[in-house]
Amino acid sequence: MRLRKGASLFITLFLSIGAVISFFPIYLAIINSVKTQGEMFTSFIALPTKLHFENYSQAFDKINLLHSTLNSVIVSVIGIGGIIFCAALAGYKLSRTSGRLSAAIFSLFIASMLVPFHSIMIPLTRMAKSLHVSGSTYGLALIYIGLGVNMAIFLYHGFVKSIPRELEEAARIDGCGEFQTFFRIIFPLLLPITVTIAILDFLWIWNDFLLPLLMLTDANKYTLILSTNTLFGEYNKEWSLILAALVLTALPVIVIYGFFQKFIMQGIAEGAIKG
Amino acid sequence: MPVKSYKHIVSLLAFVAPAFIIYLLFLLIPTIGGMYYSFTDWNGLNRNYSFIGLGNFIEALREDPDFVHSLMFTLKYVLFMIVLQNVFALVLAVFIETKTRTKGFFRTLFFMPNMISTIISAFMWTFVFSQVLPQIAEKTAMSFLDQLWIGDPKVSFYSIIIVSLWNGVGYMMIIYLAALQGVPQSLKEAAVIDGASPFQTFRKVTLPMITHAVTICFFLTLNGAFKVFEVVYGLTGGGPGRSTQVITMNIYEEAFSNNFRYGYASAKSVILFVIILIFTFIQIGVMKRKEVEA
Repeated sequence: MRLRKGASLFITLFLSIGAVISFFPIYLAIINSVKTQGEMFTSFIALPTKLHFENYSQAFDKINLLHSTLNSVIVSVIGIGGIIFCAALAGYKLSRTSGRLSAAIFSLFIASMLVPFHSIMIPLTRMAKSLHVSGSTYGLALIYIGLGVNMAIFLYHGFVKSIPRELEEAARIDGCGEFQTFFRIIFPLLLPITVTIAILDFLWIWNDFLLPLLMLTDANKYTLILSTNTLFGEYNKEWSLILAALVLTALPVIVIYGFFQKFIMQGIAEGAIKG
Repeated sequence: MPVKSYKHIVSLLAFVAPAFIIYLLFLLIPTIGGMYYSFTDWNGLNRNYSFIGLGNFIEALREDPDFVHSLMFTLKYVLFMIVLQNVFALVLAVFIETKTRTKGFFRTLFFMPNMISTIISAFMWTFVFSQVLPQIAEKTAMSFLDQLWIGDPKVSFYSIIIVSLWNGVGYMMIIYLAALQGVPQSLKEAAVIDGASPFQTFRKVTLPMITHAVTICFFLTLNGAFKVFEVVYGLTGGGPGRSTQVITMNIYEEAFSNNFRYGYASAKSVILFVIILIFTFIQIGVMKRKEVEA
């Protein structure tokens, strides 16, 4: 659409101010993370005169970076993998089966999407304790599967309708069993929605704070977010150290975002429209 | 039962079982359990506890000023977020849409904060509010920047809003952008030929075509805003005092750090659930009717 010059200028100005605000805290965190405490307090805005990477090596140790990143990776991979495996099977079958039982199970999954996490966190911690899954990264991943599977089933359920039934019938005639048909024929065709689900769940699990806080007690099991949180509590005034830790925590996701932004944005848009 | 339908049921259950079992353990049973505990005086440890009917609910709403305050504070937050988050997201999306050459750049930049974990964002902004802004105020004439951004309950409400918007607007913007891309260019051009101004075109053509996205974004904002926790936890910790405590924090405190009153905290979380349900149904109901009209 063609706009008058004034309007176009206003839009550019508005977007530019927005862009500055959007990037400002990240910029501040980065430049101040390589300053000494003293240099920082003469000016927070000025670029550093000399790069002090010792903040990073200190933060690296304090948040146990390698270890806690590994924990985050374990939780995310198992959580996302489990959600996809369980939800694809269930979503596919529920979509293909008519009848009251199938409809009832599906409704049960969907209805629970409205339950806020905070309403179940108390009994959930009890349940995790009694099943001996609290305090472990694998247990945490298991809980994410339980919490995330309903939304994924919903998305798979909708997507399966776009796949022609003839494909399954053909596979059946060729002698495939039900599970074989699913894994060989159907699952590969579900790839687009699987990518969407993986992205949405990655953003959720990787960045989640409250569930790990409730479940994990041993610092060795902490996820990246949780380690950074403890650091913030302990070294309250040592900003150069804290900022280095924040940058270390935020950077991996931003890098991943740089590589996959097309998929990420598409995933969010699709998840919202189908959800 | 005929053999065929028996077989059908077995195969259905075989496919659904992995998801259902894990869902049963970590979502369904806790949901039902929470509702059950909300009628008891269980402290989370004792084997013995008694059923006290609506006692917890009455206490929460009548005799617990902290809870009522957190409820009101959260409602105010929800209201601000629904309006501001959607207005900003929509304006940004519409503006970006007009910029064919720099579209990708702005979209990438505005969405970036959303990639950062909410709690980490809150910590970054704590630095900005407590250190950077006062220094800028001191060195320049912009004295309005010298506020107790986090320390004064009146101001810290807005600090919480600022950080929430910074973190969340990008997500809604993406949804609005996707919806805008679905509006046929020819319709807009036709409106322009008929002499409509850009604003009229937006109101009469574009907006009605994207009402489904408005419904979704309102729903997402509403749901997310009622559940706000990390921003407040990271920024003010609910303080000073309990002035910025939101419902979820009040529940968390009740159950895990203060009194270990599991039954009572469960009742509060049931109240939260019911409030979200009511608001969601009203919102979806109202907006669906709007969509039909359009």
